Amino acid sequence: MTTADLTSGYSESRTIPRRWLVIGGRIALALALLLAWEWGARSLGPLFFAPPLATFQRIVEMAASGQLLTDILATMRVSALGFVIGCACGIGLPFILQQLPRVTAAVEPFIMASQGIPKYALTPWLILWFGIGDAPKVIVVTLFTFYITFITVFAGIRGVDQRLISMARVMGASERTIARKVIWISLLPFFFTGLKVALPRAVSAAIVGEFLVATEGVGFSIEHARQLSDTTGVFAGIVVAVSLVLIINSVVNALERRALRWRPVDRDMQI
Amino acid sequence: MAAAPILEIKALGKRFPARSGREPPPWIIQDMTFSVGEGELLTIVGPSGAGKSTLLNIIAQIEVASAGEIAFGDERFASSEQKSLQPGLNRRIGYVTQDDNLLPWRTTIENVLFPHEVQGTLDDKARTQANELISAVGLSGFENYYPHELSGGMRKRAALIRTLVYDPPIILMDEPFAAVDAQTRTQLQEDLLRLWSLKRKTILFVTHDITEAIALGDRALVLSRRPSRVAAEHPIPIPRPRNVKDIFTMPGFAAIYEHIRADVQ
Repeated sequence: MTTADLTSGYSESRTIPRRWLVIGGRIALALALLLAWEWGARSLGPLFFAPPLATFQRIVEMAASGQLLTDILATMRVSALGFVIGCACGIGLPFILQQLPRVTAAVEPFIMASQGIPKYALTPWLILWFGIGDAPKVIVVTLFTFYITFITVFAGIRGVDQRLISMARVMGASERTIARKVIWISLLPFFFTGLKVALPRAVSAAIVGEFLVATEGVGFSIEHARQLSDTTGVFAGIVVAVSLVLIINSVVNALERRALRWRPVDRDMQI
Repeated sequence: MAAAPILEIKALGKRFPARSGREPPPWIIQDMTFSVGEGELLTIVGPSGAGKSTLLNIIAQIEVASAGEIAFGDERFASSEQKSLQPGLNRRIGYVTQDDNLLPWRTTIENVLFPHEVQGTLDDKARTQANELISAVGLSGFENYYPHELSGGMRKRAALIRTLVYDPPIILMDEPFAAVDAQTRTQLQEDLLRLWSLKRKTILFVTHDITEAIALGDRALVLSRRPSRVAAEHPIPIPRPRNVKDIFTMPGFAAIYEHIRADVQ
C-alpha cells in the first residue's frame, strides 16, 4: 500500500461517510414524518388528516389538469412582483438614508413603528382601495419583504468597516463607487440572511392574500378546498406551498454560494 | 535638506470634540510644525498614543485638524477655512495604513487594480504595471488568492503595491510593518527601499521602532508624548544603498540610536 492509498483511504473514511450520514439522516427524518402523517390520517380520519398517498394523488391530478401550473404561476406572479418592489425599496432606502444621517435619525422611529402594523389585517382595507385584483396582495407581499430587507441592509451598512471606506476615498473613489464596490459587497452576507427570511414570507403572504381575494393561486386552491371540507385539497395545497418555498430557498442558497464564494466559511453550514 | 518642501505642516493642532463630563477635551497634537522635501523619506518616531495615526489621517484628509495649516505645494489648507475634506487630495496622497485594509472579497490582483478601477484608469498599461509590481515584491503566483489565503507579510506587500500602482507623489505609511515577525519585517523594509530607490517618492513613514526609523529614513522626527509636537529632528547620514539586515553594524548607527532613544520618552 502506498502513501497515496493510505491518505485517500483516510479521507474517504472521514469525509464521504459523514456526507452520507447527513443525507441518510435527512431521508430517515422524511420517512419518519411521512409515517407520522400516515398514522395521523389513520387515527383521526380523512376529514381531519388527509393521508399522504391521497394528497400526492391529488397533486398529480391537479398537475394533469393544468390547475397546478395555473395556481403556481398566479402565486409566483404576486409574490415575485411584491418581492421585487419590496426588495428594491428595502435596499434603496438605506443607501439614500446613509447619505443623510439627520433624516435617518428623524425617520427611523416612524419606520420601526409602522412595522408594528399587522400587515394581513390591512388586506381588507387594501381591497377597499385597490379592488380585488393583484394589487392588494402585491402590496402586502411588498410590505413583508420591505421591512426584512430594509432592516438587514440598514444593519449591514452600519456594519461596514469604515477603514475600507476611508481607504477607497483616499484612492479617489466617488461616493457612488464606494456604495457599489465597497458597501454593497460588504453587506451581501446580511442581505442574503434577509433574503432567506423574506422569500418564504413573500410566498406565504401571497398565499394568505389569496385566501381573502383571488380566483386562482395556491392560496385560492387551499381556501376553495377548505370551503368544500376537502381536507385532501387543503393538504395538497400546503405541500405545493412548502415545495415552492424549498425550491426558492435552494435557488437563494446557490446564489449566495456564488456571491460569497470568497468567504472562508465551512460550505456545509447552509441553512 | 536640499529639495524644496513638497509638504509643510504649520502649527497643526488636533483635539477631539468635547464630551460631557470630560471637558475641555485635551489636545492630541499641538503646535506641530515640520516640512518634507520632495523625494525625501522622512521617518516619524513616537511613543504609542503620540497621535501618529491622527497626524497621518489629517494629512490624508480623512480627519479634520483643529488648528494650524497644511501646505501641499502651492495649495494651503487652513483648518479654520476647511469646510469639506478631500480624502487623498485628488489621488496625490497615498496612504498605507497599519491594517492592510485589503478588500476581503477581492483577489490580490483585483485589490491591486482597485485604485485604477475606481478612478476609471484601468487599461492594459495599468495591468502590466500591476503585474510588474506583483512580481517585484514576490507575489507572483498569488494573484488569484484572496487576502485570507495570504500570510501577513504578503498582505502587507499587496497593500503597499496597491498604493504604489497609481503613483501618488506623496505616500503616507502608518507602521505598515508593525504586525509581522522580525524576519518578514526586514524583508519588507528591503522591498520598500528597493521600490523607493527605483522611483523616488516622498514618503512619510510613521513607526515606533527606532531601528526601523534609522534603517529607512533620510531624516527622523521624534514626537513627544501627548500633546504631540516635534521634539527633535535627526538627519541620518548612513549612506545608501543600505543593508537593512546589518544596519546595526553601520558606522554612526549606535550614536543616532542613542540620540533618538534619549528623545523618545
